Amino acid sequence: MQTPLRIDPARALADIATFQHKLAAGMGNLRSMREPEYANTPRELVYSEDKLKVWHFTGHGKPTAKTPLLIVYALVNTVWMTDLQTDRSMVRNLLEQGEDVYLIDWGYPDGADRWLTLDDYINGYLDRCVDAVRARHDLDAISLLGICQGGAFSLCYTALHPDKVKNLITMVTPVDFHTPDNMLSHWCRRMDVDLFVDTMGNIPAGLMNYVYLTLKPLRLTQQKYIDMVDILDKPAELENFLRMERWIFDSPDQAGEAFRQFIKDFYQGNKLVEGTLQIGGQNVDLGMITQPVLNIFAEQDHLVPPDAARALGKYVGTTDYTQLAFKGGHIGIYVSSRAQREVPPAIHQWLHQRD
Amino acid sequence: MADPANDFIKDYQALAQQSWDAWTRQFQPPSAANPFASSPAPAAGNDTLERTLAGLKGYFDWMQAAASGGAAQPATGWRQQLQQMFGGASQPFTQAFGGIDSAAAEGFARQWQAWMQAARHSGFADLAGVQGPTPAFGLNREQQMQQQALAIALMASIQAIARYQELIQRANTQGMQRLQDKLAEPGRQVDSLKVLYDLWVDASEEAYAEIALSDEFRDVYGEMADTQMRVRQLQQQQTEQMCQQLGMPTRSEVSSLGERLQALRREFHASRQSGASADHADEIMALRGELAALKRQLASGRIAASAPKKSTPAKSVAAAKKVPAKATRKPTAAPAPSPRKRK
Repeated sequence: MQTPLRIDPARALADIATFQHKLAAGMGNLRSMREPEYANTPRELVYSEDKLKVWHFTGHGKPTAKTPLLIVYALVNTVWMTDLQTDRSMVRNLLEQGEDVYLIDWGYPDGADRWLTLDDYINGYLDRCVDAVRARHDLDAISLLGICQGGAFSLCYTALHPDKVKNLITMVTPVDFHTPDNMLSHWCRRMDVDLFVDTMGNIPAGLMNYVYLTLKPLRLTQQKYIDMVDILDKPAELENFLRMERWIFDSPDQAGEAFRQFIKDFYQGNKLVEGTLQIGGQNVDLGMITQPVLNIFAEQDHLVPPDAARALGKYVGTTDYTQLAFKGGHIGIYVSSRAQREVPPAIHQWLHQRD
Repeated sequence: MADPANDFIKDYQALAQQSWDAWTRQFQPPSAANPFASSPAPAAGNDTLERTLAGLKGYFDWMQAAASGGAAQPATGWRQQLQQMFGGASQPFTQAFGGIDSAAAEGFARQWQAWMQAARHSGFADLAGVQGPTPAFGLNREQQMQQQALAIALMASIQAIARYQELIQRANTQGMQRLQDKLAEPGRQVDSLKVLYDLWVDASEEAYAEIALSDEFRDVYGEMADTQMRVRQLQQQQTEQMCQQLGMPTRSEVSSLGERLQALRREFHASRQSGASADHADEIMALRGELAALKRQLASGRIAASAPKKSTPAKSVAAAKKVPAKATRKPTAAPAPSPRKRK
C-alpha cells in the first residue's frame, strides 16, 4: 500500500524553521500590544442596583423603532460579546437598523451575592430592569432579547410576567437540556450540586472556564494558539485575537444559590420542558408565552446544541413563532462577518413587522 | 559510523530549542523567588501568555520529536512511523490537559495539586485513617476523626482522578486509531507536519467527544467532582476551626451574615412592591368612587334634563377628572412575606 505520509524531512525542518521565525518576529508585536478595548458604543446609564447596570445605547440618529429592545445576557461571561469590536458589534448594528437598544450588565458577583437565587435574578433584578425601561418609554410592554442563559431567564420572565413583554427573541438559548449531544448537561448530571455549592460558595470563573476548555481540549488550549502564530505579524488580526481572549477569560464568578438552582432545575431536572419549573414559588409554563417569539440558534454550537434550542417551538403557546438557524457557532453568531450581515437585520425586520 | 543527515537534524533542533527557550523566558512572568523584578510581559496579560506558551510548547516539542522520530526515519511502514511521531513524552494530548490543569483552573486545580503534593510529601502511610477508619478517643477525638475523614476523602479523590485519567488516555489511544483510519482513506496524502497535526486534532477531538458523552465518563466525572469537593469541604472545616481558635471570623459566619442580609433585602423589595400594589388598590378604589359619582351625576342630569337646568354634566366630569388619584393614597402596612426555603 502506498504511504499517505509524504513528509519530506527537509520540508519538516523548514516547517520548524518557519514556525521559529514567526515566533521570533511576532515577539515584538505581542510585547507592544496593549489590552484591546471593546467597541464601547456610546451609552448612558439608565438604571443601577447593586452590581447591576442597565445601559441605553445611543446611536447617531433617533431610533425608528417604537418599542425598545432590552438585551438580557447570561450570567456567565460578560455582556460585551454583544459590543465586542467596532466592526463586529451586534448592538451597534441593531442601532444602525433603527432599534432602541438597552442592555443589562449583571456585573461581577462577590461574596455579598452568594445567596442570590433565580427568583432574585428573574422576579427581582430583571423585573425591575424591565420596569425601568417601560417607565422611560411610558409603555406597558417592551421587547426582550435573551442570550444563552439570559434567554432561559427571558423565557421564565415572559411566562411569569406576560403583560410586560411585547415581543420575545431568544438567541442560542437552551430549552431542552437533555438532548443527547449536550456535553455540559451530560457531565453535570451525576454531580452532587448541593455539595458543590455548599463547598465552593460562589463558583469561580476560572473553574467555569476550565470546564468550557475541556469541552474541546485540543482545539481550545493548543490548536488555536498554534494558529495564532500565523497572525503574530498582523497587528490588526492579533488585536482581534487578544480581544477575544480577554472576553473569554475576563468572566464573572457565579452566585452560588442561582448556580445551584440552575444546574438542578435546568441541567439535571430539565424542568423547563417538563413543565415542573418553579421560580419564586410560581410555576413557569412556557405555554403561557403567547407573544411573538423569534428563536435564533447556531447550527455548529458546541455549548448549546441546536436541538436544545430548537425545542422551544414545541412548548411555547404563541401562534407567531419564527425560527432562524445560523450557520456558525455559539460565539460566531455575534462576531462573525456572516453574523453581521444576517443576524441584526433579521432581528430588526422581525421586530419591525411587530412594532 | 557518523550520520551527517541525523547530526544536522540534531544540531538544528538544539539551535531551535535554544531559540524557543529564549522566547519562553522572555514572556514568562517574574519568578516567585524575585517578586520585585519588573515584568517583561506585555499589558495584554500574563494569563493569556501562559496559555499561549503551554499550547505552543506542546506543538513545538511534538514537531521536533516528529521530525526526528518519524519524518526523518526511513519508511518502515506508515503506521509505525505514525506511532513514532505521536508517541513518547512529546505526546501533545497529555500536554494539552497538563496546560489547562496548571493555567486555566487557577485557584482550584492548582490549589488542589498543592494539597495533594503536601499529602504525598508527608507520606500517605502517615495519614491517620488511610488504611481504614479506626476508633478514636480522648481529648483530641474529634480532630482524629476529622483527620481520618480527610485521609479517606483524599484517597477516594485520587482513585477518582485515576479513573478520569484512564478515560483521557483511552481517548488518546482511540484518537490515534481514528487518525490511522483517516490516513487510510483512499487518496489521502499528508505532506506537512501542520496538516498532520490538524488531522490528529480532528481525530482526537472526535474520539474524546465520543468518550465524554458516554455514561462511564459521566459517572467518573461526577465522582471526581464530588470527591474533590469532599476533600475541600474537610479542609475548610479544619481551617475554620483554626480560625475560631485564633478568634478570627470564619467563612461560615460571613456566609451566614450574607444569607440573612439577602433575606432582609427580599423582604424590603417585597414590602416596597406590596406597598406599590396597595397604592394601586387605593387608586382603583378612588377611580371607582369617581365613576360612581359621575354615574350618579349623569343619572341626576337626565332627571334634571326634564327639569330646569342647574349644572352641566360635562363640567362635572372635567371637575371629577381633576381629582388627583395619588392624593388619595394611604400608606399601608406590608404583609410579612413568607420565608423562602433554600433548595
